[in-house]
Amino acid sequence: MGDSPDTPIRRRSFIKYGGAASVVALAGCSAETDDDNGEDETVVIGSAHPLSGDFADTGTRMNNAINLAAMRKNDDGGIESLDGAEVEVIDEDTEGEQELGSEAANNLIDDGAHVLTGCFNSPVTNAAATAAEGSGVPFVISVAVDDAILGDSPRDYVYRPQPNATQMARDHVDTMPQVVRDLGEDVETAGLFYIDDDFGQSVSGALEDFLPDEGIEVVASEPIDFGGTADTQVTTFRDNDPDIVISTTYNASTQELISAMDNQDYRPPLLGGVANEAYNDASTLEAMGDTAEGTFMTNFALNPVDERADEIRNAFEDEFDQSFDANVAMSYVAAEVIIEAVEEAGSTDHEEINNTLSEITVEEHISAMPEITFDETGENENALGPLFQVQDLQDVVVFPEEFAASEPRL
Amino acid sequence: MQTWNGQATGEIAILIDGTTATANQISLPSPGIILQLIVFGLLLGAIYGLVALGLTMIFGVMDVINFAHGAFMVVAMYVVWALSSATGLSPFLFIPLAVVVLFGLGVAVHLITIKPIMEAPQENQLIVTFGVLLILVSSIELYFSPDPQNYDIDLGSIAVGGAFIPEGQLIAMIIAVVAVVGTWLFLKKTMLGRAIRGTADNRDGAQYVGINIQRIDYLTFGIGAALAGLAGAAIPLFQTFDPFIGDAWLINAFVVVVLGGLGSFPGALLGGMVIGFVEVFGRFFLPGSFYQVVIFGIFILVLLILPQGLLGGGPSE
Repeated sequence: MGDSPDTPIRRRSFIKYGGAASVVALAGCSAETDDDNGEDETVVIGSAHPLSGDFADTGTRMNNAINLAAMRKNDDGGIESLDGAEVEVIDEDTEGEQELGSEAANNLIDDGAHVLTGCFNSPVTNAAATAAEGSGVPFVISVAVDDAILGDSPRDYVYRPQPNATQMARDHVDTMPQVVRDLGEDVETAGLFYIDDDFGQSVSGALEDFLPDEGIEVVASEPIDFGGTADTQVTTFRDNDPDIVISTTYNASTQELISAMDNQDYRPPLLGGVANEAYNDASTLEAMGDTAEGTFMTNFALNPVDERADEIRNAFEDEFDQSFDANVAMSYVAAEVIIEAVEEAGSTDHEEINNTLSEITVEEHISAMPEITFDETGENENALGPLFQVQDLQDVVVFPEEFAASEPRL
Repeated sequence: MQTWNGQATGEIAILIDGTTATANQISLPSPGIILQLIVFGLLLGAIYGLVALGLTMIFGVMDVINFAHGAFMVVAMYVVWALSSATGLSPFLFIPLAVVVLFGLGVAVHLITIKPIMEAPQENQLIVTFGVLLILVSSIELYFSPDPQNYDIDLGSIAVGGAFIPEGQLIAMIIAVVAVVGTWLFLKKTMLGRAIRGTADNRDGAQYVGINIQRIDYLTFGIGAALAGLAGAAIPLFQTFDPFIGDAWLINAFVVVVLGGLGSFPGALLGGMVIGFVEVFGRFFLPGSFYQVVIFGIFILVLLILPQGLLGGGPSE
């Protein structure tokens, strides 16, 4: 006694178990995931930047820089170690809002990003980095200066090629006074002007700590709010008469500073800036005019003496008809680091890419700093903010000599 | 010698209840600097008053808190800027046009969004006007881009006794004073103005005596929007602007309106002056952004002690 193949029970069981087995087999064939073998045909970079809102102009150009890096790699044959896999960029708009940082990161991860990059605004970057860390997805910061992103809690999946706030302030304090003194002038007092957010507070706080090391007393420290004017702050500077006013603000606020100085017929002997995009933007420099001439500024930079950097700048301007400033350059560098890491890893698996990033040395990149390699906290061990000067209303690297395109002058 | 915000300090002895204590004394800046601060206080105060005018008008008559007020200001900025850039003519020529455009926009917004919910709870009106704000700002951002802009105008400053008066802010202050006087005269001397005042005093009573309340409502909203437009058109005379700048002015405008008295035009100017002086002197003498604590402290104090505001009442005040 037993079931014959033709009995209903055996047929139902056959259909049931056979169907289940088919589903499992089909699922195994169609769901080729990173964790299975890490060999996708496409390498997906997730880009989270402000594409609308206050910072959309900069964010859009940064996003385009990442797209350019991907395009150039694809034109070059794609990821060689993955049999020519193409690099694709997907993006999310953070609007420059902190509350959208983690949402943007999670959306990119859900959409299949193998690595993330972003976000320009430090609070947004912090939120996005937290989301990436929680999901175990590598995140290479394009631009964001706040120390706290990598300093507050240990991160295993987050990397920053650019110098952080402390490093930028340190670089400025190490170079600007020396350059000025070599030119025959001295700097004994400083006034600080900063945007009243994480970015401005972190850099100005670091400047307040380091300037006394160079014998420079901070005599005034004035914040500006978004959408505010700088009249009272400039009056404070007039009253305290610093040798240099160092600004850490965004475009509009820097213009307010210059405008208020013009209105009060006041200009300190020297102007400085740290991580101040206004002094790297040609149209803003033109709008600020002669008052901005001669400003000494520290920021990450495109390598002005590298031919490949120049080629990429021209390619960007031709492709997108947009200006290529320091933020754009650093975004391109972040993409270069990501692409190099995937190339070396030979995999799109998150862990393998992350392991590669933690040990990578990127020698060929377009920024004005030595080879990029990350320490145990994810900061670039060789991060450098060279010293610029505004000369003939153009931003020109003047120090260190290996990256200088011109001599400093007073 | 210690310094605090760059001001030289010295220790002095104070006798308190028989106990000697020491305190840091902040020395005053030079008379020229004090005069400069007074000038900026007056200028900023007048501009705050101008910004608050339209807000207090709408609330005084209609009991509507218009969150789109800042967005109306921004629309006016872009109207003037776009026309001036397109024609190459002075932006001053287009300020009156912007006021007219904003009047029309205000009437339209009222008829489409406010009128249907006049009897609804106030939170509905808040949400609706907030929605209008989002629509206007997003539209401007999409059409004009989010980049900061300037009027193509070269205004300098006038030196007076060691202080500087930026011409752009001086013109904005003159506009503010003219707007306050003009609006006060309108409300006092014209039939429509009296009808608006009557409606603000007693809405039901106004209706009983034959005043067309619905017409008063949309005209009031239009006038309030026009005043916002006047403020918005004036601000770029001294400041860069972008689609989002309305928010920064709106927050302090609410404080000014409450401080001066809801519905009071002279109150708006007086409230603006108080806030302007607190901001300027607070920024100079207090660390960081502590002046904002003082501003909102005053706001809370006024609400507790004098809830009707310094010159509170209605547009009849």
